[in-house]
Amino acid sequence: MTAMARTAPPRTAGPTMPGSGRRGSGHRRRSVKPWNQRLAPYLFVLPNMLIFGLFVIYPAINNFNISLYDSGNGRDFTYVGGSNYQEMLSESEFWSAARHTVIFAVCFVTLTTVVSIGLALLLNQKIKGRAFFRTVFFLPVVISPVVVGLIWGWIFERKNGLLNSLLGGAGLGQPGWLVNSTLAMAVVIFVGLWLHVGFYILIVLAGLQGIDSTYYEAARMDGASGWQQLRLITLPLLRPTTMVVVILSLINGFQAFDYIWTLTGGGPVGGTTLMVQYIYEHAFQSPVQYGAAAAAAVVLFCAVFALTVINYLYNQRKESA
Amino acid sequence: MSLTALRGSRGARDTRGTRRWTSIGDGPTPTAGRVLTYAVLIGLSIVVLAPVVWAVLSSFKSQSELAQTPPAPLPSSLRTENYTGALSSFDFALYLRNSVIVTVGATLLTVVINTMCAYGLAKYNFRGRNLLFLIVLGTIMIPLQLIFIPVYQMAAQLGLVNSLWGLIIPPAATPTGVFLLRQYMLTIPDELIAAARIDGAGEFRIFTRIVVPLSGAAIAVVTIFSVMWRWNDFLWPLIISQDQSKYTLPVALAQFNSQLVAPFNYILAMSVVSMLPVVIIFLVLQRHIVRGIASTGLK
Repeated sequence: MTAMARTAPPRTAGPTMPGSGRRGSGHRRRSVKPWNQRLAPYLFVLPNMLIFGLFVIYPAINNFNISLYDSGNGRDFTYVGGSNYQEMLSESEFWSAARHTVIFAVCFVTLTTVVSIGLALLLNQKIKGRAFFRTVFFLPVVISPVVVGLIWGWIFERKNGLLNSLLGGAGLGQPGWLVNSTLAMAVVIFVGLWLHVGFYILIVLAGLQGIDSTYYEAARMDGASGWQQLRLITLPLLRPTTMVVVILSLINGFQAFDYIWTLTGGGPVGGTTLMVQYIYEHAFQSPVQYGAAAAAAVVLFCAVFALTVINYLYNQRKESA
Repeated sequence: MSLTALRGSRGARDTRGTRRWTSIGDGPTPTAGRVLTYAVLIGLSIVVLAPVVWAVLSSFKSQSELAQTPPAPLPSSLRTENYTGALSSFDFALYLRNSVIVTVGATLLTVVINTMCAYGLAKYNFRGRNLLFLIVLGTIMIPLQLIFIPVYQMAAQLGLVNSLWGLIIPPAATPTGVFLLRQYMLTIPDELIAAARIDGAGEFRIFTRIVVPLSGAAIAVVTIFSVMWRWNDFLWPLIISQDQSKYTLPVALAQFNSQLVAPFNYILAMSVVSMLPVVIIFLVLQRHIVRGIASTGLK
């Protein structure tokens, strides 16, 4: 009984005193909670919400605000309106970072989605060593991205790197993986995939396990081939999971930073400098261009937010259609 | 492997009705598909494991062995000079200590405030509850990478720059942790809490004596996640720890490598030190981690 009273939706509460106007008989005695029960939830959520407020919500709002002010030293602010945005848009470095971020994100999302679904399908079969493979593919997710970048950077090194010693030994030449900017971008995408794909495999596996096996039984009775089952049952029913993979990897791709920092340092000549690194360098390294950095942060924020909403709405419509 | 692997013939498939075949390799010749499946899985496992194994092996090599081409696969002996050298000629012991303090401190704080917050959201009905829960969900969508300039300004105003508190407090309120714990606590029966109230237990006592013990499994997951997050954190420590004495291990590795301060054999040894704890935690507690991700869709 008390449980029912407490889980009643709050809108049944009267306009003046919370809980006092609750209708229904029998709960009246319980409807006004003692003060400690009314106060307790606020105290429980307070510490966590205080940190959220100070270090997430207020800064998220303030992000826009800062981008409208000029600050040479990060302390004295003068209102400059949209001129930070003008400064940012006139910078070729911004356009370079934006372009590379889009290239990286598109490749990363596509490859992550395809590879994670492909590997999850393989791992979803009754095969020997399934647990082992799952563990192996997930392992990179727990390793520090900084260390991942260091190790791969060392392996891809032109002269002494493991890869080029192997290639050179086989007489296949020694490409400058991290010297050529196209190759460097490919390496960055590959390492991003190596680092993150295990996480998405896990999500797809959970999605595959959620598909009712009776669909497959019915399809087999109708004589559907394995390929047909994949195309007509698995992939359509996996759509919500695919949406999750696309959204999460998109958000993930737009904020890629740490492993690239130690892998290429954003080079060669800005060829793998993505937006987060652009913002970091302009805000914290000399020459400091605080305004441009703040404006770029707002642009990145809006881009990620808009993409998330668009993807969500698109999939909503597809599902209801 | 081969026998069971090759037994996946068409006949076996038809007799076992519950068996699911979703592989793209499952064409008219399932055995070929099987072989292909194993080839792909084994090949990719090597791609995943090789760099890690190579780094661990090479961390025992001498500088001249590291420079050798073609490189020898195994170190000539298990030399630990790279480890001892890094700890003695650089302040890596200090960075390691900073990393441990931050990881332990932030995880303790995270577990306490996330559990409290989750309990408030899961088991009380109060004004603003839905709004607060929406805020928790919303903050999952706002990663630090998008707002670190104003977050840094806030930390600077509060005097948290160049202090370990600055590394501990701001990241402690993890929305993922609150979400995961809340979902778990929803399954605790309300009657249990109501009964404790009738017995005269105070609100905080109910939390510590009933809710926390019953949420052990979820708290374990949040603890493991928090340890991995804080141990591997880079961007936030990079911004906050501007003074070398406040570096964490990842910051020191990245800075020393990019500025060519420390020789690479030391960097390699300390990279292995950074990798080892989380890999061991993962291998031992894998089940909890996988369940945590499966139930939230977040890492």
